[in-house]
Amino acid sequence: MPKIDESELIRRLKLLSQIEPTSEATNRAMERLRDSLTQQENLRESTTTRIVRAVIHRSVIKFAAAAVLLICAGYVTGRLSAPEQVDVEQLRAELVQQMSQQWESILETRHAQLRQEVYQQVRRDLMEFAARTLTASRDLTDQRLVELIQLIEAARMQDRQRIAAALEQIELNRLQDKTQFRNGLQTLVARANEPQPTKQN
Amino acid sequence: MSAKAERVSLENRQKELLELLDRSGASLYALLTRLTLRQDVAEELMQELFIKLSKTSSLKKVKNWNAYAHKAAINLAFDWRRKQHRNPVPLEQIREPASGENSALRELMHMEELQETLNAIERLRRPAHQALVMRYIQEESYDHIAEQLGKTTHHVRAICSRALSQLRDILGASQSQSHGKELKHA
Repeated sequence: MPKIDESELIRRLKLLSQIEPTSEATNRAMERLRDSLTQQENLRESTTTRIVRAVIHRSVIKFAAAAVLLICAGYVTGRLSAPEQVDVEQLRAELVQQMSQQWESILETRHAQLRQEVYQQVRRDLMEFAARTLTASRDLTDQRLVELIQLIEAARMQDRQRIAAALEQIELNRLQDKTQFRNGLQTLVARANEPQPTKQN
Repeated sequence: MSAKAERVSLENRQKELLELLDRSGASLYALLTRLTLRQDVAEELMQELFIKLSKTSSLKKVKNWNAYAHKAAINLAFDWRRKQHRNPVPLEQIREPASGENSALRELMHMEELQETLNAIERLRRPAHQALVMRYIQEESYDHIAEQLGKTTHHVRAICSRALSQLRDILGASQSQSHGKELKHA
């Protein structure tokens, strides 16, 4: 990175340090500042005094008015909110009566509700029991039917096997008869072809 | 606090501010002139500085009023410079700068250089530019600066040296940039 020569920089800083405002300007600035500081002080003093006085004056009047209003309000509230004499027996009797009425009505309502709930519960239980019984009997019937079908099927299979065995035996017998018949015929033919012996012989 | 106590406190502060004005007013005004390069602005900033000092609530904690005011003045001047960058002043509103006795052209060149240097200082961080201004523009001793900034002399020396190096970088970069622009233009 290019750097400026240090001596050049120092020269510039030196130039800056040698700048002096004119004495007139300095005096003018200081006088103006002194004036404004003094004026500020005077202004602040007078303003503060006025504000303090006004605040004190107003606050005393306000405080007095507020105190009077508070006292009046307290008196009126006290008069209006004074407690009356209470007849305890009458209050108790009324309370008992009112409470017993309330309890009765509550109990009646509760009783009717309870009866209705019990009735509905029993009905639901019975319906459920009937449904379960019906399902169980249906299942049992199905099972029995399946067993019966299986037994019939087994008997039919046995019959078929027996018929097949009988047919096989018949065929064997037929073949045996046929063989015997052929042999008999051959023997007969053979004997018929033999020359007849002479009586001389 | 009661009204009376407040009033006494304000009176004390007023007295302290007037004492500060008598003791360091000229020095503060010169500092502001050096950093703004304009007497009219320096005058306005002086007013602003003292208003700020009179309104600051934490002034009871300030042990060295002079140092505090000088630091505040440096910050005010650089704040003003920053505002100037954001809102450039129309040419007709610019008054004649704080002048020497040289020719107009030489004066203009000097002004240009000084503005550039101040702009570069403005880009440094706060303790660095404060230390640099105190050391090289106000020409105060390292011990005095250390006392004002609440740091050790060693630390202030290091800050100044680093700030000078950074300043050389910034100015070098800006010079090469402007040189490049001139060449391109040519």
